[in-house]
Amino acid sequence: MKLINRLTIWYLAITTFVLLASGLIVFYRVQAEIENEVKTRLKRDIDHAAQLISEGLPIDSVRGNQLDIKELDHNAALIPLQVTDSMGFYSLYRRALDRKFTVASSHKIQGKHYYISAYNFIAEPDEILEGIIASLAVTLLILLLFVALASRQMSRLILSNFNRTLKTIQGFNLKQKNRIKLTHTRTYEFKELNQFLEKMTNKALDDYRSLKEFSENASHELQTPLAIIRGKLELLMETRIDEKQASLIEGIQNAVQKLSAVNQSLILLTKLENQEYPVKEKMNFSHFVKGEIESFRELIEMKSLSLTTKIEPEVYLNLNPVLADILFTNLFTNAIRHNLMNGSIDVTLSSYGLTVKNTGDPPKVATQELFKRFKKDKQSSESTGLGLAIVKQICDLNNFTAGYEYTSGLHELSIRFSH
Amino acid sequence: MKVLIVEDNIDLARNIQDFLQHEGYVCELSSSCNEAQDKLSSFNYDCVVLDIMLPDGSGLSLLENIKEQKIKCNVLITSAKNSLDDKIDGLDKGADDYLTKPFHLSELNARLKAIYRRNSLGGDNTVRFNEIVLNTSALEARINDTPLDLTKKEFDLLLYFLINKNRILTRQSLAEHLWGDYTDNLANFDFVYQHVKNLRKKIAAARGKDYIGTVYGIGYKFDTSIS
Repeated sequence: MKLINRLTIWYLAITTFVLLASGLIVFYRVQAEIENEVKTRLKRDIDHAAQLISEGLPIDSVRGNQLDIKELDHNAALIPLQVTDSMGFYSLYRRALDRKFTVASSHKIQGKHYYISAYNFIAEPDEILEGIIASLAVTLLILLLFVALASRQMSRLILSNFNRTLKTIQGFNLKQKNRIKLTHTRTYEFKELNQFLEKMTNKALDDYRSLKEFSENASHELQTPLAIIRGKLELLMETRIDEKQASLIEGIQNAVQKLSAVNQSLILLTKLENQEYPVKEKMNFSHFVKGEIESFRELIEMKSLSLTTKIEPEVYLNLNPVLADILFTNLFTNAIRHNLMNGSIDVTLSSYGLTVKNTGDPPKVATQELFKRFKKDKQSSESTGLGLAIVKQICDLNNFTAGYEYTSGLHELSIRFSH
Repeated sequence: MKVLIVEDNIDLARNIQDFLQHEGYVCELSSSCNEAQDKLSSFNYDCVVLDIMLPDGSGLSLLENIKEQKIKCNVLITSAKNSLDDKIDGLDKGADDYLTKPFHLSELNARLKAIYRRNSLGGDNTVRFNEIVLNTSALEARINDTPLDLTKKEFDLLLYFLINKNRILTRQSLAEHLWGDYTDNLANFDFVYQHVKNLRKKIAAARGKDYIGTVYGIGYKFDTSIS
């Protein structure tokens, strides 16, 4: 749920509650006010009547509409002010029943005892309530409308900075070289958030960069000593050696070879991460794949593999040729290497993607795991365990998706191109 | 052939020197751009093995100087930086070949000889040894005038053997020579074994001598002493 919707709902809930409460208060206050007012007025009428009587006016002339005077026994006790709230006929002709508010008291004037009562018709509580409810309902409706309209606008206004920050952060990539730039905001919370984000991403970028530089340098620094060891071993082989020494040299050579292969692959991965392989032009991938397969024909024959290809002509890709080479040969040599004698390889290329299927022993680890660095099916095997990681990296760089499945004896590696 | 090795790492330079001297080359070492520049101005060299990263500058600038001053020599760049840009840059600036460290000395030898053949021997593209004659431009191999039906890889292999005669060539260096960067991914060298076996069979079928033999199981050697 969007923040603004949440806020709106809360706001409306609170408003409704407050409106209800204020409706009640208004109702009771208005009611009390009316009653009080009417009571005071009627009391004044009574007092006025008593005044007139005491001035000697005849009772009949004092008695009037909504004012009644009765004579009581002189000895009867004085009746204090009484208020009666009842229903009465508003008009004799129309016979409309209405709320009748009567105030009465008795007065002893000039030796006589008068009971004076005055009444008035006032609005009934349910009528007041109705009015209040009606007006509050309209208020609520107007509020709703305004809140609904204004909240969108306000959210766009207030949250615009926040949304921009969000967008920037979503687009943030450790591999990018530039620091993120967040727009200036006057809202305290957003300002704080932006400052924090900038600090955090800068730190992450710096850390990432120094780590990368370190591994790059380390890899490059390793190349020269490796070259020296290799050369010395070659020279050592040229000297007079016996079989035992030869096998020792071979052991060293294999280890050096593996070390340098791992190192080369790591350098390649770093370079991929650094995006050092720009795409200059579209390449004819169909043509390329055909050529590559041809160059491996001898290896395929040596393992007596049967090769089937289904290559759609004129598949063009935005791919750096070096990466295309690494991508395809990694997949294809894998398919040769991990194949069985007399097995099969099937290569399918269309504008949607490339699939390389080969027969082979079932994998011992989950196939998706094999895309991770140094993950190998057999930990002891001679391979670097970086081949598929490189494939994955190339795919990620070019927005391709790489998948690996093993079903009924077939390893299926597929690359889906992005279009 | 006179070779100048420009390499700041003395161990590596010595390796190259040792190996090439066995081939009968005259090798001299320089460990910096300036030193190399001096030597190049004073003496003639057939080939320069040039490292890119040198203490007093980039080997590429030295290469530019060589080309500017029209010094006649072939240049082979070696670099630890396996960067495509460097490679393209180097070749653009007029280098004859490019080799990434770590390399096999036998590979360096083969490359140097190929450059030398191409540029200095007046485009002579035949390599011969006794009854074996290879034409490197036509990719044609003959034994006593009997054409050998070799695949491209087998031809490369035979040429590599002929250039590195009497050297022990490990399966590794053969694999790398034949398959370049993909050897890591081929891992076991059965392929090399197969290729060598086929090559020997074809040579034998053409009544050539079996010069190629295995050495202690670590590699092969084209042994000229066999007769």
